[in-house]
Amino acid sequence: MASISARRLRKELNEINVEGCPAGIKLLSADNFDTWLFSIEVLGESLYQGEVFKLMFRFDANYPISAPAVQFVVDETRGAPIHPHIYSNGHICASILGTEWSPVLSVSAVCVTLQSMLASCKVKERPVDNDRYVRTAPDNPKKTRFQYDGDTV
Amino acid sequence: MVQQTAFLSGYPILLDDMEMKDLPRAQLYAMNQASIRSSIPSEQPLMSEPAPISTLRAEYENGSSSFVAQIDDLVRQGFTSIIRTRGDGDCFYRSLAFAYIEQLIRAEEPELAVVTALSGLESQKEKLMKDAGFQEIVYDLPYGVFTDLIKRIISQSGDLLTSAGLLETFQDSEAPQYIVMYLRLLTSAQIRTAPEEFEEFIMHPDTGMKMTVTEFCENFVDPMGKEADHVQITALSRALQVRIHIAYLDGHSPDGKVKFVEFDQAPDSRSEPLLLLYRPGHYDIIDKNGV
Repeated sequence: MASISARRLRKELNEINVEGCPAGIKLLSADNFDTWLFSIEVLGESLYQGEVFKLMFRFDANYPISAPAVQFVVDETRGAPIHPHIYSNGHICASILGTEWSPVLSVSAVCVTLQSMLASCKVKERPVDNDRYVRTAPDNPKKTRFQYDGDTV
Repeated sequence: MVQQTAFLSGYPILLDDMEMKDLPRAQLYAMNQASIRSSIPSEQPLMSEPAPISTLRAEYENGSSSFVAQIDDLVRQGFTSIIRTRGDGDCFYRSLAFAYIEQLIRAEEPELAVVTALSGLESQKEKLMKDAGFQEIVYDLPYGVFTDLIKRIISQSGDLLTSAGLLETFQDSEAPQYIVMYLRLLTSAQIRTAPEEFEEFIMHPDTGMKMTVTEFCENFVDPMGKEADHVQITALSRALQVRIHIAYLDGHSPDGKVKFVEFDQAPDSRSEPLLLLYRPGHYDIIDKNGV
């Protein structure tokens, strides 16, 4: 029997295929249970009008007990959104992806939450410690320990 | 309907380009806590073999005499053994799940006990989960893990669940994580669907600040590794329809007696309570029949 993790991801994928992604979010690839890619844009008025970003989920065998590693993809064609909680390497500082992760959340729920984080942004700027963090950041954002004591988003 | 979730932002804790002495106190504290937590698993199995309660007494013999007096009181009340669980913030839920299933295994009529338990679990799931706003994909697999294990108590097909098998399952498989997850969902669903009964008692466990029922559940019930306190235990007693009696070993009893805090939210007030031991910050299982 497939692992519980794979069964959960298969159910999530099935639901995405049947019901579609939330508005503004598209599934780009989900060929395995390791890495899924989505495109994400903010619909309606926002500072990110016309910008489309790519979001990467990486799962380990313990998902959904442990959080997926979630980040924006930075490549030749696109960068990470300019946002006070998003680093230029695509890493995101959000408690729900770290110590406040809960298995109640799903891939879709994370997409919608990040979309609303972009939609409510007032100032397009990088985190103050962006350069320092990006210089030494690990490949996988789950290996970074964040201290979550900033604004509620 | 997928809903967004509120969360906190913050900053990464960097080590590579700064000296420890430059770190703010809050960062040092967080790093210290994280390192304490990450060091626990290697020392303590998820769930230990039952040990005589005298081993617990031995831990305190060179220290607090009031703890020793309370342990002697437990022995006087007929408790013989302790099953220790890992202190990873899930110890209440894991201990309770174990005690719950163990009680079904030991039932005089296991068939009846298991069928009754399964039908209660099924109706509570139907009653609470959707109303709480949880998606079926979130709760159906953990529910299946929990009930599949319970069904094995009366299995005819060679995988009969015994007490020894239960301990083995809780020591070495992914099942207990999903059972803990399900009990957290049940607790959360109970609080979310009867907010008027809980909101008066809900506060941030560290700061004592008021918070909403939803904030409380999202931050202190749903995530793994968040310890349970009175609100969660009351809710789970009701949702799981069990009586939970917890011996508080706090070293503060003037007469050396152990105080039991009783969570009696079960519809059947004559049912046998599940028995846990609380020491500040940690739950274990105590038993009158073991070792």
